[in-house]
Amino acid sequence: MDSQSVNAVGSTVRKTEAEGDALVVMELIQRLKVRDVMTRNLVTLSRSATLREAQLLMRENHISGIPIAENGRLYGIVSIDDIIQALDGGYISEKCVSRMSTHLIVLEEDMPVSFALGFFENYKYGRFPVLSKDRALVGIVSQRDISRVMLYELTQEINRLERQHTRAPEDRVGEGAQLYMLREFPVVKYDFENAGKAANEIKRLLREQGVAARLTRRIAVAAYELEINICVHSNGGTLSFVISNGVAEVVARDTGPGIENVEWACRDGTSTANEWIRSLGFGAGMGLANTKRVADKFDISSTLGKGTTVYAAFRLDGAEK
Amino acid sequence: MFYRHCEDSDGRLMGGEMTVDKVAEILDGKVLYKDKEDERHVGKVVASDLMSDVLLVDADDILLLTSLASDQSIRTAQIVGAMGVVVHNNKPLPASMLSVAQTLGIPLVTCPYAKYESCVRLYKALCAESGSEEQ
Repeated sequence: MDSQSVNAVGSTVRKTEAEGDALVVMELIQRLKVRDVMTRNLVTLSRSATLREAQLLMRENHISGIPIAENGRLYGIVSIDDIIQALDGGYISEKCVSRMSTHLIVLEEDMPVSFALGFFENYKYGRFPVLSKDRALVGIVSQRDISRVMLYELTQEINRLERQHTRAPEDRVGEGAQLYMLREFPVVKYDFENAGKAANEIKRLLREQGVAARLTRRIAVAAYELEINICVHSNGGTLSFVISNGVAEVVARDTGPGIENVEWACRDGTSTANEWIRSLGFGAGMGLANTKRVADKFDISSTLGKGTTVYAAFRLDGAEK
Repeated sequence: MFYRHCEDSDGRLMGGEMTVDKVAEILDGKVLYKDKEDERHVGKVVASDLMSDVLLVDADDILLLTSLASDQSIRTAQIVGAMGVVVHNNKPLPASMLSVAQTLGIPLVTCPYAKYESCVRLYKALCAESGSEEQ
């Protein structure tokens, strides 16, 4: 082996390790939104306030920047730098509006935290105001806010990984034995932001295990349809994914309201979805029919007022449906 | 709405060499995300805003043309193993859509045309590429 190939191998290994390390953090900064980390208890001043008032307020609250806002509308920000310059320049009694920064870089509350981190990297500000979809000031984010929440979430994640790790030996049954896997994902009613995540994860797991592409697609389609069904039609529930004895099973359980006519619900094109759900790309009434079509075995049971369980099974031995 | 391009009599696909970059070029679009090393080619073009329709398609390397500017377009694309998603009419995308595309490794393109116009442009390009006559 010449030195060049040694280097190549070495760098590949390093890259993989780095990716492995970062994955938990990467997922976290995508999953967490700005609203999860921002400070909601805002200390603001009105447009009539002076720089002196801003200075006192900063000292009282141990903060280094104050948004100038009225009735939720953001006009500008006074930073500790502005105060220092005002003291230096002898205009501390002037109004904030005459000296505040008005070219503001703002975050939106439903942006992932990764965006906020990017902002801190790209702009040298200590804090960013956070606006809602309708442009109202709803919070403020400093790097400290992000660190605090990240530390908490990472601790949770590490605890979870540790628990998983201690259970790991039971996950696989013996050397060369068949694959065994069990995952359960909660699905929340109308949570369109996260709907589909479980199915995406199931697909990733199957690909990782080297399951054939077409079979992977069939299982993933069933998982996705059932996950969306729970999200759109039920009060919430769980999506379970089990592999044992050469069979993959996707089971969707919800807590109600139950289906009145199961046979009708399984037919193509029948749906109780409203226009709003349709505008999101769902509700064509094909979910159960699609699931039935891709599965080797399909079963559904439902009790009005209690809930619905849908079962879809797939043989992993490669026998095509 | 479905659109199948240039299949021979056995239903095999005759497209082939068209990458996401090429798609963006044909549709005067902008590639918002694509992994540098991702050189997959268009297998089949599917145009739909209804994700259940997309889930019905049993083909490899689908290019999804849609007007649905939501995370679900990307999530659906990952489920069916799509090689890319094109969002039409220069629709503004929710902030989360790009990050979902990055996380799931799905190339994302926006373009100014309506889906129908894109279908026509891609069909012509794919036919020209595979040397078959336009129909």
